[in-house]
Amino acid sequence: MSPSAGPADRADRRGGRPVGEAGAQPGARWPGGEDPSSADRPEAPAGEKAERAGGQHQPQVVKSWSGQRTSLGEVLAALPSLRRQAAGREAGTRTAVMTIVIVSNGGEEAKAALESVRSIGAHHPCRAVLLQPDPDATPAIDASACLWRAEPRSGAGHPVFFEELAIRVGGQAASHLASIVGPFVLADLPVVIWFPTSLPDPADPLLRVASALVVDTRAASGQGDLGHAYRALLDLASSRPVVDLSWVRLQPWRELLAGLFEPEHNRRFLEGARLAAVKGKPGPRFILGGWLMAQLDLRARELQLADARHVEISLSASFDGEEGIFEVKRDEGTRAVWARATFSGGLSHTQALPLPDSSLTNALAGAVSYLRPDRTWERALSAAATLA
Amino acid sequence: MSRRSQAAQAKGGADAGGTTPASGQAGSPLEQGHGELPPNVLAEGLEAVRRAPAGVLVVFGASGDLTHRKLLPALEQLSRRRLLPAAFAIVGVARTEMSDDGFRDLMASSVPDAGPGWAEIIKNSYYIAGDYSHPDTFTALQKKLSELDESLGTEGNRTYYLATVPDVFGEVALALGKVGLNNASGGGTARLVIEKPFGRDRATARELDATLHQVFDEDQIYRIDHYLGKETVQNVLALRFANAIFEPLWNRNYIDHVQVTVAETVGVEKRGNFYEKAGALRDIVQNHVMQVLSLTLMEPPGSVDAEGIRGEKVKALRSVVVPAASEVPNIAVRGQYDSGWVEGNAVPGYRQEEGVSPDSQTETYVALRLSVDNWRWAGVPIYVRTGKRLPKRVTEVALQFKAVPHLAFPKEAALGLNPNALVMRIQPDEGVTLRFGAKVPGQAFVVRDVLMDFSYGAAFLEEPPDAYERLLLDAMAGDPTLFIRSDEVDTAWGIVQPLLDVWGEGSAPLAGYAAGTWGPRAADALLERDGRKWRLP
Repeated sequence: MSPSAGPADRADRRGGRPVGEAGAQPGARWPGGEDPSSADRPEAPAGEKAERAGGQHQPQVVKSWSGQRTSLGEVLAALPSLRRQAAGREAGTRTAVMTIVIVSNGGEEAKAALESVRSIGAHHPCRAVLLQPDPDATPAIDASACLWRAEPRSGAGHPVFFEELAIRVGGQAASHLASIVGPFVLADLPVVIWFPTSLPDPADPLLRVASALVVDTRAASGQGDLGHAYRALLDLASSRPVVDLSWVRLQPWRELLAGLFEPEHNRRFLEGARLAAVKGKPGPRFILGGWLMAQLDLRARELQLADARHVEISLSASFDGEEGIFEVKRDEGTRAVWARATFSGGLSHTQALPLPDSSLTNALAGAVSYLRPDRTWERALSAAATLA
Repeated sequence: MSRRSQAAQAKGGADAGGTTPASGQAGSPLEQGHGELPPNVLAEGLEAVRRAPAGVLVVFGASGDLTHRKLLPALEQLSRRRLLPAAFAIVGVARTEMSDDGFRDLMASSVPDAGPGWAEIIKNSYYIAGDYSHPDTFTALQKKLSELDESLGTEGNRTYYLATVPDVFGEVALALGKVGLNNASGGGTARLVIEKPFGRDRATARELDATLHQVFDEDQIYRIDHYLGKETVQNVLALRFANAIFEPLWNRNYIDHVQVTVAETVGVEKRGNFYEKAGALRDIVQNHVMQVLSLTLMEPPGSVDAEGIRGEKVKALRSVVVPAASEVPNIAVRGQYDSGWVEGNAVPGYRQEEGVSPDSQTETYVALRLSVDNWRWAGVPIYVRTGKRLPKRVTEVALQFKAVPHLAFPKEAALGLNPNALVMRIQPDEGVTLRFGAKVPGQAFVVRDVLMDFSYGAAFLEEPPDAYERLLLDAMAGDPTLFIRSDEVDTAWGIVQPLLDVWGEGSAPLAGYAAGTWGPRAADALLERDGRKWRLP
């Protein structure tokens, strides 16, 4: 059989929208939420979203395919076929930096995760594979594949093309996801596995194919024994980079606090830090508290943690008889984060920043730009495990 | 030993101590190992963020257009990106009478939708009105800077940015020297930032340097060419020296010739008066083209740091053959645009532009054939062209490879095949293109050119920093890598000086070209003589 006779091609010749054979149905529900193939038309929903993301052009669907009760072979055949069909639209060359695998139970979180991957597509082109394991369902694979086109930057010509796959795995195969992912991994590029709302089980065999993991300790903070989960994460981090989206989101706060200690006068106070107070939701406050404990060698009783909607850090320190207060907080009702150092000697430093955009997309972009071990985070998490 | 220093040591004291965000600050007390200052343990893991150290930015020409249009918006962006220090102030100096509040209003109006951090910086900003020739201006500045060191903790770090007309660069520098502001005070640093033009020719450039060097050491002087602040210009270094497959081909054995194109669609706009005295050779070739060229031609540096890179760049420029006056007509073409159509608009000719003499002899287009005398490039011609009112805005460096030694296909099967080319696209569509031959699908064996394009994306969702922002931060942080050293300026002037001399005599032809075309016919002839032609960018 010639490679050009893939399922999508056959479907095309029938004159309908590309669908898989063997039970594949046009318009099978897109596991990510909506059926992106409906975006084939110019005024599609995906296009309408374009203006939302800060003027960036959101990627557009070029071609899509879907199949129910399909096989991996068919999905694999559909991928090059999508590209071939779109070849007239410059889809021939591939620019890619990684394969990103999202493990999710579906629903809103899967949709949000896929949208984030698409939004960073122009800057971090990757093949995205959404896995929805369902061990209790009938043994079957439902899949959809979609070729996206992203414009790199306004005014600058060359579009980037990338594929997105959604695979619902029912039955026993759901416990053997590595075998599902294997064929879809782009050669020679890192494989990033992203758990949007849960923390991975270190025994999960899927982790074996991961070059790096992306997790979110904030999103997972409502689940079970956090101390145990944090220690398990640390275990995973010993063999591959683990990037925590919550830690990425907290970077502005860390930078601002660290920045207050850059001037020589202020630096002296680091050695005299006595008391740290951290407010925020459980995940962020544990990890920031852990960070301060680890970096400043504070004892647990020198740390006050309190629940609050917004993150706030305050540090009291003294040096040479002078008292200093170092604060980073968001003022209620403003969209700004303030960092202030005030001293009993009269000196004060203030910096203010627009509230960082904490959208999932920005956090993900930060995370995939930084796929390397972060010892500071590991120390912070290790200390946080004693607080949680 | 305190718990903090134990902590620092347990975590690898050297690592923790040397890598604060301010560690790019050469010669800062942090790096000189005074020892007493504890490491900023909270900055660990944030090394990728390079912040400016505490200090004052003194802007001369603070009431001027460059400050308003470029400098202040770039500073606001830096503050938005959390790259300015907590102890930071701006002091504006200019002749225009203005109060501190007047300057603060100007700062606010320069950035209409500023973030909340800008208001804090505005609060710490001051203005000194005064003539650059009057010592009082500089004593007032000195007093203000000492006050700020005291009240804000700016630690004696000063960056002087000369956003003035170039005529006063020397005057301001000398005046700073007179009150001792050229010297680092109390362990701080003093740096002088100037922007092109660095002189009008080699002699005036040397005069300027001699004046500056009376009071500032070379390592205190930061000469800006904003091209070097561009992400893609830096990507030339990444492409060449982070990849093993290109470098073996990067020489006379495989490369037939190099083409550098810096094309603009705009005319002189409102800068007619300025441009009349400059021309394309001074405005583009002496600086931007030479910078891009030196990065393309240079040998791999031992290390990608300021001295490693700048040393190799100068070596490359020194290998460029300085044309003899008698050779100039054979290797250089100058042109001037006539009226025509650009991007669908009818546009006037250069001589009809505002501020331009009706019989102007200023060139708006230059084409050059340069040669390089070294092992890597001997015999490889370097063709350079730049012009205004060309069909497309594009800057690129194209390496044209040699043809295959023997074509195994029938000639008619390879009609659409050209030698390989590697094109570094610098702006606006930043990336790399490789042109190679591929078979046209079908029964017959026909080969044709195909392009493989790669586009650089940004590392984050945010756009890569504006060139100004990057350079301003580097200057304040004390990283001179992307600034031009005195000997680079001098060597670049040396290469174009014979052209300035010959063209200055007025007898060399000035070819006209219609706006919206790729330059005068004579430029095509320049390559045709060598059996080559300009590529279509």
